Amino acid sequence: MKRREFLKTGAALGLTASLPSIASANDEKVRRFRVEYYFNIKYDEPVYPARLWNPLPYNAPYQKIKFLRFGGNYNDYDINNKNEYNANTFYAEWEKSAMPKILTMEMEIETKDRSVPLELIKEASKKNLPYPKEVLKYLKPTAHIPTNGLVKEVAELITKGKKDRFQKVKAIYLWCTAHTFRNPKVVGCGKGEVGKMMQEQKQPTAEYIYKNGWFGGKCTDLSSLFTALTRAAGIPAREVFGIRLGKSHFDKALGKSDSKGFANITTWQHCRAEYYIPGAGWIPTDPADVTKLELVEKYSYDNPKVQKLVKKYLHSWEMNWVGFNHARDFVLYPKPVQYPLNMFGYPYAEVNDDVLNYYVPKSFEYKITSQELF
Amino acid sequence: MKKIFLSLILLNSLFSAEKVAIIQVSGMTCPLCTTAIKRSLKMTPGVIKAKVLLHTKTAAVIFDNTKTTPKKLLHAIEVVGYKGKIQQIKEVK
Repeated sequence: MKRREFLKTGAALGLTASLPSIASANDEKVRRFRVEYYFNIKYDEPVYPARLWNPLPYNAPYQKIKFLRFGGNYNDYDINNKNEYNANTFYAEWEKSAMPKILTMEMEIETKDRSVPLELIKEASKKNLPYPKEVLKYLKPTAHIPTNGLVKEVAELITKGKKDRFQKVKAIYLWCTAHTFRNPKVVGCGKGEVGKMMQEQKQPTAEYIYKNGWFGGKCTDLSSLFTALTRAAGIPAREVFGIRLGKSHFDKALGKSDSKGFANITTWQHCRAEYYIPGAGWIPTDPADVTKLELVEKYSYDNPKVQKLVKKYLHSWEMNWVGFNHARDFVLYPKPVQYPLNMFGYPYAEVNDDVLNYYVPKSFEYKITSQELF
Repeated sequence: MKKIFLSLILLNSLFSAEKVAIIQVSGMTCPLCTTAIKRSLKMTPGVIKAKVLLHTKTAAVIFDNTKTTPKKLLHAIEVVGYKGKIQQIKEVK
């Protein structure tokens, strides 16, 4: 190893959440996870350079990086959040050589289940307070999240007659969970192309989609659908890209580990969502995990356990997961050859202008493991 | 002598088999799209080199026009789910 670095806390890295959350974690039990990354960047030529950008978690009341340790034979590295969304990034680069390109990272992460009390949300929503300036960007469309046309029309039908912001969000969330399914054939977490998802419906009209819409996808697709509809209804919303860390206490479909708390989480990237109600802050939600529970356990939407999760995930997250960022359609730093990046939940690497396939860890090559510390 | 030499260079470029196609590509939504397109182009007989850029939504393809055609290049892009449009065919400098 050329160098080994140890950073004691996330604060030393400047790894802070870019926006405040008024509502904080519950007085839940703290969970601790030791997460290890191993990179050995592969390419189909014997001599090559490489550049790697890996997403790092943000710090928040419900998730904290206790330390970050890293090492490898990189020629240079950088830890930054110099991008439009302040997404925390570990960057490493290797000069052109026949040497293996190695990076190891080790993190200890503390999490607490996150829930914002419904009464607090309802009370805050009634006040109809103005949005702070820093959340206004989460009302705007991006390349993958249109907020006009069909998206706007469908959002209007879902929220018809509702004046209260939270009631609008709740209607959109319930519509999303009832009108979506997890499609296991989708690669990775999906691309979250909401405009395309709308156009691919049997009849791409607002009336038809509102009544009969049936959207298949994975977590990014379904979180993006919720995000786009919520923004179109005039409420700030965003996807939160992250990774599952281990066992779910709700159901094994939502995360598992072996009897010692160990899990290979290389392909456990998971996208959730948040919406903003002034006075309550950012509120966690996860419409996609409802569909995962249905698929894995072969439950129907009206199954009591599914309905229990529907209620829970309107305003909560189980924290066997850690969030990285809410970046979409943005440019990493240092600037890659290929940009913009549609989402940053996976490691991203380039060899010259070639993008390595982050959906195939074995050819890329990377491995991520997690050990829960009891 | 100089004139003859320049004429030879000109003739050589006129009849050179190597060309560059600049193709406008639609449907690319993420960096991995460039990988899929590049791989498909490189598997096309007669393609010498390909560079695909997401931010400009273009592909620059060096190809041997005795072994392939611009139409085949567009087909290689189409089979992986994207749409190409020839912007320009140039000589290799």
